[in-house]
Amino acid sequence: MSADANEESPGLIARIARDNSPLVIVLVAAFVVIFVIGAATAPNFLTVFNFKTIIRDAALVGIMAIGLTFVTLSGNFFLLSMKETAALSIIAFATCMSAGYGFEISFLVTMLIGIGAGALQGVLIGLGGNPIVVTLGAAGLFFGIGSWWSDNLVVSFRRPHGAEWLGTGSFLGLPNITVAFILIAITAELVLRRTNFGRQVYLVGANRAAGKATGHENLGLAIKVCIIASVCSAFVAIAFSAQVSSAHVNYFAASFGSSGDMTIMVIATVMVGGNSIMGGYGSTLRSSLGAVFISTVDNMMVLHGFNSGPRVLAVGLMIVFSIIVFALLRRGTRAVE
Amino acid sequence: MIDRIKNWVADNPDLSFAILLAVCVYAYFGLTNDLFATHRTTFAVMERFAVLGLVGLALTLCIIAGEIDLSIGSNAALAAVITVRFTDSLGAVNALLIALAISTTIGMIQGYFIAYLRIRAIVLTVGTLMLLRGVALFAAEEKTVMLTDFRVPDFISTKMLWYFSPASLLVIAMFVVVGLFMSFTRYGREIYAIGGARKEALASGIDLKRPMIIVFSISGFCAGLGGVIIGLRSGTAQALGLQHLLLAGTVAAFIGGVSILGGKGGVIGAAIGTLTVNFLNTGLVFNVTPAFMVQLYLGILLIVVIMFQTGSRVFDDSQRRKQLLYDVDIRRKSIGKRRAGAGSVPP
Repeated sequence: MSADANEESPGLIARIARDNSPLVIVLVAAFVVIFVIGAATAPNFLTVFNFKTIIRDAALVGIMAIGLTFVTLSGNFFLLSMKETAALSIIAFATCMSAGYGFEISFLVTMLIGIGAGALQGVLIGLGGNPIVVTLGAAGLFFGIGSWWSDNLVVSFRRPHGAEWLGTGSFLGLPNITVAFILIAITAELVLRRTNFGRQVYLVGANRAAGKATGHENLGLAIKVCIIASVCSAFVAIAFSAQVSSAHVNYFAASFGSSGDMTIMVIATVMVGGNSIMGGYGSTLRSSLGAVFISTVDNMMVLHGFNSGPRVLAVGLMIVFSIIVFALLRRGTRAVE
Repeated sequence: MIDRIKNWVADNPDLSFAILLAVCVYAYFGLTNDLFATHRTTFAVMERFAVLGLVGLALTLCIIAGEIDLSIGSNAALAAVITVRFTDSLGAVNALLIALAISTTIGMIQGYFIAYLRIRAIVLTVGTLMLLRGVALFAAEEKTVMLTDFRVPDFISTKMLWYFSPASLLVIAMFVVVGLFMSFTRYGREIYAIGGARKEALASGIDLKRPMIIVFSISGFCAGLGGVIIGLRSGTAQALGLQHLLLAGTVAAFIGGVSILGGKGGVIGAAIGTLTVNFLNTGLVFNVTPAFMVQLYLGILLIVVIMFQTGSRVFDDSQRRKQLLYDVDIRRKSIGKRRAGAGSVPP
């Protein structure tokens, strides 16, 4: 990939030296130092069990981030409705489960809702609507439907419900959700690099005019990538619901004790991984690594006993840091603006 | 007189659409609910206007400049937390000034970085959204902060001049000042220029930094003032609250006639858009609609407005294309004729 070549060849060091941008060097160095000190001093940080925990924590956000990466790579910025799509899906899943339809049918219904949500946004974006504004509206819509459907109550279903294997089961010592994360990460990376569709995503993202001239309209592509993102959201919702055997529209919101709301965490993951928000540069692998990285830092801070305030602050700093660093690195290339 | 109105409507289609929508929403709730078209409700609407108007104004300015400020809710929450937390120890006025200074500075820094790094505002502001939320959690020590002295909240909600309170009068003054600034100063025109035609504006010598810093400073100030008003009025503040302001403010800005491409819209539109959203909000509350349903209606409204705008843009483009092809045809024909007429002349 050209993006990787840009980032990892000696050209990078040469460019930093040429620009002589002390800001970048200082920022990166400061970050590395903080990370090493944290890793060395945090108790129980370097254990196998802790690494498993880190990856399991990264899985849910990571799967959504992989879906969102397709949208970002295709030059459609990001969807502000990831959390709300998940909220609608989790209500759909739990309602079907509590009505006794069984795991398979509930799964299918939820996935169909995810596909519908993605297609709606994809059509509007593909026709030329601004992704941010469209998905902001769609977020309100999905959240409203989810609240109205569940009457803003917790929907719960009884064990055994046939979905335990996804929520709490494990395979070769790894939780199934971690296995799913790894499988989805590998599949997404293969799709991006080895299929026509993946190449189209990069082409349209890097240069929309060239894509149009060669017959790759953004409309069809926007629908496909939005469906991928929404289906990933729906899958995460199912996995989470299977874990806790219940659902509420606020499960993915900041007010539900998580360290920040899911949409922003997912966007943070995509950005910290170093994908260009303007499209065309990056990969799903970067997003997966971004998820693991954020999860590692979060884990380290938890081990040091920090509250949620400093942890949210740290994620915010990481996003702003990565934005500034990547903007400075890519200055003068097409990847910025 | 009728001609004049017709001309005005033809000149300002977006504004007339906004006024029409506002009147329709008001008339609907006024006719279906006896309590809606009363003096008390008007006061309640103006009280809502005080906060949402500021957010709508800030987002209108950002969208005019071709950008969008996603961090507005976090900035407001931070200002609310700071004000409420320090009112008891420093006095309301000092706390308020500190909060406003902080949120304006945050906006200024954002504007500087957006112009300096040449990135889109959404990229940076989605980062600062999270960052400021962390700072607010830090400032509130992850608790809901509260006032102990309720004289200030009482003062802010005092009724004066029939429909207004000190808060809403302040916001109206803010609207007037920003409106004059946008229409009659060079800096205001620069903001329109970088939104409508950024490349041309930069080529003609506008420094991107100045209008960006101005826009985001105003945006930060408005967000901060909105947060301060909410915090002081209710006497409490939560670090994770106020995130719903972004959707409502965006809806208000888009009803007010801004275009996502930038360079269009104005302060009057922002005021009318906000009023429309407030009529809707208040009317839904009067009809005993649960709070979460308001989001649903706002979401639908935003999607409809965007579809309308996108549709008209696609239509315009196809019309322009047809016109262009037609012109080319005519030119080709006239060239052909000239060739045919000049055929006798040796080449």
